[in-house]
Parts: sequence; structure tokens; C-alpha cells
Amino acid sequence: MTPRAGRVRKPGVAFFDFTCCEGCQLDALNLTEDQIMDLLRAVEIVEFREVKTGGCESYDISFVEGSIAREEDADRLRDIRERSKTVIALGACAHIGGVNCLRNLVPADAALQEVYGDAAGDYDILDTVLPIDAVIDVDYVIPGCPINPEEFARTVADLLLGKEPRLPRHPVCVECKMAGNLCVFEKGQTCVGPITRAGCKAICVTAGRHCWGCRGLVDDPNIDAQREILDDAGLTVEQILEEFRIYFSCGKEAL
Amino acid sequence: MRAYDILIIDGEPIVRESIREWLARAGYNVEAVGSVDDALEAASEHEIHVAVADHRPDNAGAIDMLCRVKSEHPKITTVLIASQPSHTVEEAAAQACEVDHVLRPFPPDRLERLIRETMRSIHAEREGPVGVGLAPEPLAEVVEPRETFVLSSVALKALFDSLAASNRVFAVVEREGKYSYQAVADFAELSLDFDTTLLPPTRFLFPPRETLLDLRLGASPAAEPVVSEEASVLFGVHPYDLRAIELLDEVFMGQQPDPNYIARRRNTILIGIECLRPSATAFAPSMDADVVESGFDLMLAPVNGDFAVIVGTERGSKILQGRDGIRAPTDAEIAALSAQREAASKRYRVQLSVSRARLPRLLEDYYDDPYWGDRSRTCLSCGSCVMVCPTCFCFDVADQVDLDLSTARRVRRWDGCMLSDFALVASGENFRATREDRFRHRMFRKGKYLVERYGIVGCVGCGRCTTACLPRIASPAEAWNEIAEIDRAERRRTRTLRGKADSYVPHMATLKRVAPLTEREKVFELRLPRDQEVGHQPGQFVMVSVPGIGEAPISIASSPTRRGSIELAIRDTGNVTHAMHGLAPGAVLGVRGPFGNGFPLEALEWRDLILIAGGIGLFPLRSLIQYVADRRDRFGDVTILYGARSPEERVFTVDLAEWSRREDLTLRQTVDQGSEAWGGHVGVITTLIPSIVIQPAKTMAVVVGPPVMYRFVIGELKKKGLADDQIAVSLERHMKCGTGKCGHCQINGIYACQDGPVFTLEELNVLQEAVA
Ligand SMILES: Cc1cc2nc3c(=O)[nH]c(=O)nc-3n(C[C@H](O)[C@H](O)[C@H](O)COP(=O)(O)OP(=O)(O)OC[C@H]3O[C@@H](n4cnc5c(N)ncnc54)[C@H](O)[C@@H]3O)c2cc1C
Ligand code: SF4
Ligand code: SF4
Ligand code: SF4
Ligand code: SF4
Ligand code: SF4
Ligand code: FES
Repeated sequence: MTPRAGRVRKPGVAFFDFTCCEGCQLDALNLTEDQIMDLLRAVEIVEFREVKTGGCESYDISFVEGSIAREEDADRLRDIRERSKTVIALGACAHIGGVNCLRNLVPADAALQEVYGDAAGDYDILDTVLPIDAVIDVDYVIPGCPINPEEFARTVADLLLGKEPRLPRHPVCVECKMAGNLCVFEKGQTCVGPITRAGCKAICVTAGRHCWGCRGLVDDPNIDAQREILDDAGLTVEQILEEFRIYFSCGKEAL
Repeated sequence: MRAYDILIIDGEPIVRESIREWLARAGYNVEAVGSVDDALEAASEHEIHVAVADHRPDNAGAIDMLCRVKSEHPKITTVLIASQPSHTVEEAAAQACEVDHVLRPFPPDRLERLIRETMRSIHAEREGPVGVGLAPEPLAEVVEPRETFVLSSVALKALFDSLAASNRVFAVVEREGKYSYQAVADFAELSLDFDTTLLPPTRFLFPPRETLLDLRLGASPAAEPVVSEEASVLFGVHPYDLRAIELLDEVFMGQQPDPNYIARRRNTILIGIECLRPSATAFAPSMDADVVESGFDLMLAPVNGDFAVIVGTERGSKILQGRDGIRAPTDAEIAALSAQREAASKRYRVQLSVSRARLPRLLEDYYDDPYWGDRSRTCLSCGSCVMVCPTCFCFDVADQVDLDLSTARRVRRWDGCMLSDFALVASGENFRATREDRFRHRMFRKGKYLVERYGIVGCVGCGRCTTACLPRIASPAEAWNEIAEIDRAERRRTRTLRGKADSYVPHMATLKRVAPLTEREKVFELRLPRDQEVGHQPGQFVMVSVPGIGEAPISIASSPTRRGSIELAIRDTGNVTHAMHGLAPGAVLGVRGPFGNGFPLEALEWRDLILIAGGIGLFPLRSLIQYVADRRDRFGDVTILYGARSPEERVFTVDLAEWSRREDLTLRQTVDQGSEAWGGHVGVITTLIPSIVIQPAKTMAVVVGPPVMYRFVIGELKKKGLADDQIAVSLERHMKCGTGKCGHCQINGIYACQDGPVFTLEELNVLQEAVA
């Protein structure tokens, strides 16, 4: 069937998920109803979760969630990349490995054993859990655990307008100050806001917790200085690891 | 009836004519008169928009003249130019009547800009509003003298309640032992006794995020400004934060006014509270920000269980009107107020060890010091220091598109120089890529650049940045003190190296020749014993003494290239100079020196030169002209401009004749008033400049003359495309020692006898006192 003349083809958007904590998926996006309607008007959701087997679909924008833990995931991801004009990592798992990287703290065999017991041999898991950019080229990232729905909406809008989506380059402290928070260090607690990319409006500190770095590092983090302030706050290396390993376990961003 | 944009009132022809020419060439209709009577006559006969007068010792009636014009023609905008718009001048101007603007003559194009804006707002008024209140109107009217009353705490609560009834009130509230501004409806919730707040109250005038424009995208795009006119009250603002608001006012309401800021500022009532419990990291007294005289509508201070309230503006006075429980303070209360202020100022634990005024030059000398790199090693680039700073006002602007793709908002949010991408440009270059660059920039911006741009130090010593910085490196006081200490150590080192003490003992020189130049001026040729050379540079001076009469600084009028003796040209103005005029050859005089920096020969060599002298400004400039003539091959094209009041008052006419004969020098002369015998150019010296051809890139100008001449000549030179570092001037100051000690020649933080008398404009721009 040929499309009707004059009809502008809407960009085809697909969502895929891999090993994922809870899901930053569309249904968990927390967009307002209006925003969802706007989104559906602007794009065509051509795929959700599973690639049609044997299909030869191609996508304008593919959102990929979750980290890569098994060899077959990696193959599937490479296939998605081939069919997509733009690939966007959606959420911390896809972006930096996320919570799943905790697995990297123990040897792969042991993890397998622990999780799957005797069935372990049936699974072909990778040596380490990987963020998706360790497997394929990623065009853009919507970071966070969970993602910030406003940022999602803005990124989509920017892409549809042909504008390069930009993430903030400054750290969470900036937004934390804007929010008028008392720094948790002043209360004797610790935080990795100074080296974590902003964009979440420092919601965790505002809510009375601290930042654990779910949005990944800023471009030029001063890790040594961060370590020094954590040291000064009385944390031992073990405590630092314990406290902040959730999002810092995927090797390249180890604290 | 003619319409004049501008009326200039000045008794001094060079001032009057220069301003006239300069504004006329900028395209305005200008009338210039020499007296207030002429001014009034002009104002009643013609339509006039702006009246300008210059406040100088010899034009002291300037304020009165403007006031008389204003009182008879209230629609005329009055502008007082004052080389030092001190509080006294401003207050005098405000008190006598409301002189609309008091302006410094530097930079010289400021007047033009102000006039441009005034004219624009006049036209806008006629044609109805175009933008959103773009013209900076005066804020709430300041009242003088500031009266003090006393309120009981019950009366203060009533005052709060009445304000809260019709406005949003933001006041300080305690939370986890820290203070912050919150919307408060109940007086019982707020604190008036706090050290400092997490975020400064400036955020209500310049919020962390705000929408500037609502945008419509698509085929017929549109932009709607978003300006909030909502009224609010800031209840309990410390003096240092009021000082910071003063800087923001200058930034956002001066040039290129910001409608969003102006709307908020105008609709915000500022109620101050004196700070009696300074935070441990604050150093407000060092920044002159622990006590303020203005910038508030009302200022509160607790006194013996009640509250003193000082009225700062008309608006503040209205708030107090008709309230119960208000009375005049007792003598005991007034004494208690100043005693507690005094006691509070002693409670600050951090102090600057160097005067504020010295900061710009001090910093400049240590731009490359390793300190910046060492100290910034642990900087997280987290931006906390700039986010909490009341004087920080940098921002980022971005369009946020809605998912419907048809609407968007142009949003600005706080940004700051400590963030790693602040100076990143589209091509990917980052002008301040390292922590060191950014750390130094912030300290320079606060201590130097803002002073140079706005004349206000960019830090009020609130100490918030120090507290907010996790690695504890953000305190400007600490950085400046460190640099001052490095400087002191450096000076100690050079002091011991140099060894030889500057001596007050003069050389005894013999007067070889005396010749009259004009009625009041003579030239003296002096020889040192054993034919010693003075060893001077053009532009330096010596202290000449007649034993028993005294010492006076006198420029050396001859070039060091003419060896064997020096020439001094001297006008008979007072004791020493008069005594010298009575001396005959063979007399013995004391000479010390040479002193001062002289003309910047390294910067002048290989360039085209424009050498400009007015009156006896030729005395020092002659040494440079001789030098250039003797080393002609080291300089490009040389143009000499000389102006005098009359042909008879020209000095060194023999030299002038010689220079005009030389093919490799161009000399142009002019006189203010010609005579029958004078066949040359008539007009003030600025009139010579437009016709000369300058290649700005390779030209340096040197200007020496009476103070009034400088700014107009400079204005003309700038029009020719010369930058501030291409214009050097020589300043005359009262001098007693020549060695940077007696303090007479001090201009702000520097000593003209040592650091001057020659300065480039770039150097002068930081010195509020420079051109007097
Ligand atoms: C760097 C430099 C270079 C200079 N070069 C030259 C030069 O080349 N040629 C030249 O002629 N001049 C030059 N001058 C200016 C010259 O130094 C002054 O004119 C000189 O200081 C006058 O000294 P005096 O003792 O003769 O006058 P003073 O007796 O000091 O009087 C000077 C003026 O001030 C007034 N005055 C001074 N003290 C008092 C007082 N206590 N109360 C009231 N009025 C007072 C006097 O009435 C008089 O009008 C130069 C100045 C500087 C700073
Ligand atoms: S609480 Fe964390 S994010 Fe907030 S200022 Fe402190 S370190 Fe930065
Ligand atoms: S504050 Fe930190 S942990 Fe919380 S959402 Fe933001 S980046 Fe993630
Ligand atoms: S630089 Fe620091 S001390 Fe100075 S005004 Fe800003 S926050 Fe306050
Ligand atoms: S340049 Fe830096 S120090 Fe200055 S206002 Fe901006 S952020 Fe603040
Ligand atoms: S100086 Fe301190 S507060 Fe400022 S950016 Fe560096 S670490 Fe952050
Ligand atoms: S300060 Fe120059 S563009 Fe903003």
C-alpha cells in the first residue's frame, strides 16, 4: 500500500528494553495526558519492547532501556542499531549500567550461581554487565533512575524540531543550590552531587536524601577532590564503595 | 522656537565647545551657553530635552544652574557630570533638587549613551509604550535626611501584618539551625536575628529560573515578553545584601536595562535589618558592606527590646504613616544603636589585609602566580560558590520547546563562571578550560573586573561562598589575602636587594641659564655637580627645592638625549615657583630624582604617535618630542597637536617653529581666542583631531594638559578607533615626597609619584579619582 499523496510520514519511534530495574518505559514516563497526546500526534509508535522476528522494520528513533548482561542481548542490540537512525539510551541502566552493575562486584560465575542455582549452566552471561554504549554507538542519552519526564519530552521535541538535544553539563549541586537546599555535608552526611550531571533538579536532596549519582558523571569530574571531601567527611574507602556503588560499579566511572 | 536635544551650560569655553562638538557630531541638536541666565532664556525660547552641566571646582555652580533650569522647566532631564560622583556630590545634587543623573566623565561615551537613551525614552513616551517598561525610571524616591523612629515590637508586628495583608512577604525562617527566605504570613514564624541565609534575597529580584518570552513556533512565529509585576516585600535584609542589590541595580538598570529585573525591583519593598550576629565566614566590613546608608525603604535595628526604624525612601515613609506606637528615639537609644553597631563590626572574624582599592592592581600583578593553580586543585567545579553569591548574576538562556512543537518558552537560569562549560563556545573551544582559569577568573571578576566596569567591588563579604564550598577554597578574602601576602613577601625581598634608601637629600645643581617663555613662565637650565647626568626618561620629574622656601615637583622639559644639563620650564604659581622666577644664573638649587614612571617608551617605539599638549602640558611633553626627534628612526609618523588659550600664552615657541619646519614631524597648533597677528587655526584643541588621519592599529597617543582637556580629547581619540591601552596621559597631583609615602598624590589605591604620573586610560579606568 502506498501512502496517500501529501501525507507527511510521522517519525517512527520504537522502545526496546533489556535488563532493567523497573523500567523507565513509556507507561512509567509520568508524562501528563496532554503530553502523551501531543507525543502520539507527533510520532508513530511503531514498536514496543520486542522486535518483530524476521521483520525488516526500520525506526527513526529507538529508545533503549536496560543494560546488557547476556551475549544474545548484545546481538539484539546490534540489530536495533542497524535498523535505527537515532538510538537513545533511556535511563540509568542503559546509560551507565545502572543498578545492574552491582553484579560486577562479584565474579560472573558466582552471580550466576547465586541467582540461578543449578540452572546456571543454561545461561550465557557476559563477564560484566554493560551499558549499551559499550556495545553500540549511542546518539543521545536521557539519564536518570528514573528518568526526568520533562527531559524526555524536551529531548523528543528537540529531535523532532531538528535541534541537537543538550544535557546540562553542570553538576547536581547547581540545581541543589537553586532549590535552596542545605547541603547534606553540613548535616554530616555525604553526597556525590558535585560530580553528577544535573538535570533532575536535585530531587533526592530536596526530598531529604542525598544524591547517589544516578545521572552519571559530569564531563570533567574532579574525582580526586570528591574522594577528598568524602574522606574529610569521615568515610573510609569501603564505606564510600558501600554508599555509592549503586551507580559507580561499571568500571569506567568507579569512585 | 527651535527644538534642541541638549543644552550645555558651562562657563569654560573648552568644556562647552568640546561637549557641543562631540554631541553635535553624534547627530544631536546642541545649544551651548555660558551662564544660567542664558540657559533659562534658551529654555524658555526653545524646546529642550536634556540640560548638561559639569561639576568642577571652577564651575561649582553647576548643581544650582541645573536646579534652576529644572525648577522652571521640570520636563527637562538634567545631567550633572562629576569627575568624582562622591556621595557628597550626589547628595548635594539630590538635595538641591532632583538632578536626574550624576555621571562620571569616564568612559567619555557614557554621556552620549545616556543622552541616546533619554532621547529614546522621550520619543517612546510620545509614541506610547513600545516595550515593557524598558526605560529605567528612578526607583522609589530617596528621602533626605534619613529619619529614625522607634517602634515597639507590637507595632512592628502590626506593620508586618498590614504589609502581609496585601503583598507576598518573604522573610527569614529558621530550619535545621540554618536560615532561609520563605513566604511568611505569620510574624511569629520569622526571624530578625540571624547570621546569614543559605541563598541571598537577591533571588527574588533575579530568580534561579524565569521565563523571559513565550514563543510561538511555526509559519508565523511570535514572541511575547513575560514580565511579572507581582508586588512583594523582603522583610529583613542584611546590609551586605542591600549592597549587593546596589550592584545588581547598576548592572540591570543601567546600560541595556533588563525589563524583568526592573519590574521586580520596582515592585519589591526592601526592609533591612542590621546584622548584629555576623556569620563566621563573613567579612562585610572589609567590603564596606556591614552598614549601608541607602538602598532600603526601611531599615530596622533592635534596640532595648524595641525596634529602631530608619526611613530610606518616600515609599518607606508612607508605610510608616499613621501607625500607632511610633515615636522619636531617645538619646540613650541613639547611643545604644551606634554602640551595638560598633560591637557588631568587631564580631567579624575574617578581614581583608589589603585595602579594597588596591585589589585591581594587586591582582593584575599576580595573574600568573602559581597560587591560582595550587589553590584550585581541589575545586569540584560544582558552582556552589556562585549559586549562593548575592553579587553573581551570570545566566544562561535556552528555548524549551513543548511536545506539541508549536509553543516554547525562552528561559533563563543562573549560570556561573565556575562551571566547566561556562566559557565554552559553539566551535568547541573553552576559553576557561581549567579549574585554575575559572578559579582565578572568579577572584578577578569580584576584585577587579566588576570594579572596573561598574565602579563597585563585586563581593560584599557575606561569606556564603566560603560556607558552601566543600573543599573550602572559595573565600575571596582568603584568596586576596594570600595574594597580598605573596606581594608583601615579594616586596620584602626586593627591598633587601635594592639596599639603597631613597634619600631626601637633594643634589645641589647650578642654574646655567634662565629665559622667559611667556609672562608667567620661564625656562631654567640646570647642571648637576661634576657634570653628572640625572639619568631620566621623558615624562619623569624631579623635586626642585629652593632652600628655606620648599620643594616642588617639576617635570623635566628636556630629553635625556640632550646631555650635560636638564631644562625645567616653570610657571610662577606659588612659593617655590615664585622664588625660582627670581633666581639668576649661578644660583644653586636642590634637585632630587628623577621620580615617576615617565612615558611608556617601549609601547611608543615603532608606532605612529599622536602627541597632544594643552597649555603648559607642553612642558613634560617637550622632553618626549625632543626624544622622538633625536631618535626619529625608531618611530612611525609623528603628529604633534598643541593648543593654548591665546597666541601669547603659547610656550616654547622657538621649539614649535623648529618642529613645524621639520619634514618628519607634523605640527598643528590652535588657540581658543585668536588675535590680529594670529593667522593660524582658532578653536579648542579637540577641533584639530577629526581631520587627522590615524591608523588605529599602529598608533599610540600621549595627552598632557589641564584636567578639563583630557576627557574631550580622549573622547575624540576613541572615535578615531584608539583603545584605552593606546592612550597615555600624564596627571598632575599635589606631591610632597616623590617616593610613594606622603600620600598627597594618591589616586585611589595608587601613588601618582611612583606608579605615575603617566597612565594609560586602561589603568585609569579603575581609578574613580583619576580625572579631577
Ligand atoms: C609630576 C608633576 C610635574 C609638574 N611639572 C611642572 C612643570 O614642568 N612646570 C611647572 O610649572 N609646574 C609643574 N608642575 C606643577 C607644580 O609642581 C606646581 O605648580 C608646584 O607644586 C607649585 O609649587 P609652589 O611651591 O610654587 O606653589 P605652592 O606654594 O605650593 O602653591 C601652589 C598653588 O596652591 C595654592 N596653595 C598651596 N598651598 C596652599 C595652602 N596651604 N593654602 C592655600 N592655598 C595653597 C597656592 O595658592 C597656589 O595657587 C608639576 C606637577 C607635578 C605633580
Ligand atoms: S547536597 Fe549534594 S548536591 Fe546538594 S550541594 Fe551538597 S553536595 Fe551538592
Ligand atoms: S539527585 Fe542524584 S540520585 Fe537523585 S535523581 Fe538527581 S542525579 Fe539521581
Ligand atoms: S563572593 Fe562570597 S563573600 Fe563575596 S559576596 Fe559572593 S558569596 Fe558573599
Ligand atoms: S562571572 Fe562568576 S563570579 Fe561573576 S557573576 Fe558570574 S558567576 Fe558570579
Ligand atoms: S570553589 Fe568550591 S564551591 Fe566553587 S566551584 Fe570550586 S569547589 Fe565548588
Ligand atoms: S555578558 Fe555579554 S553576552 Fe552576556
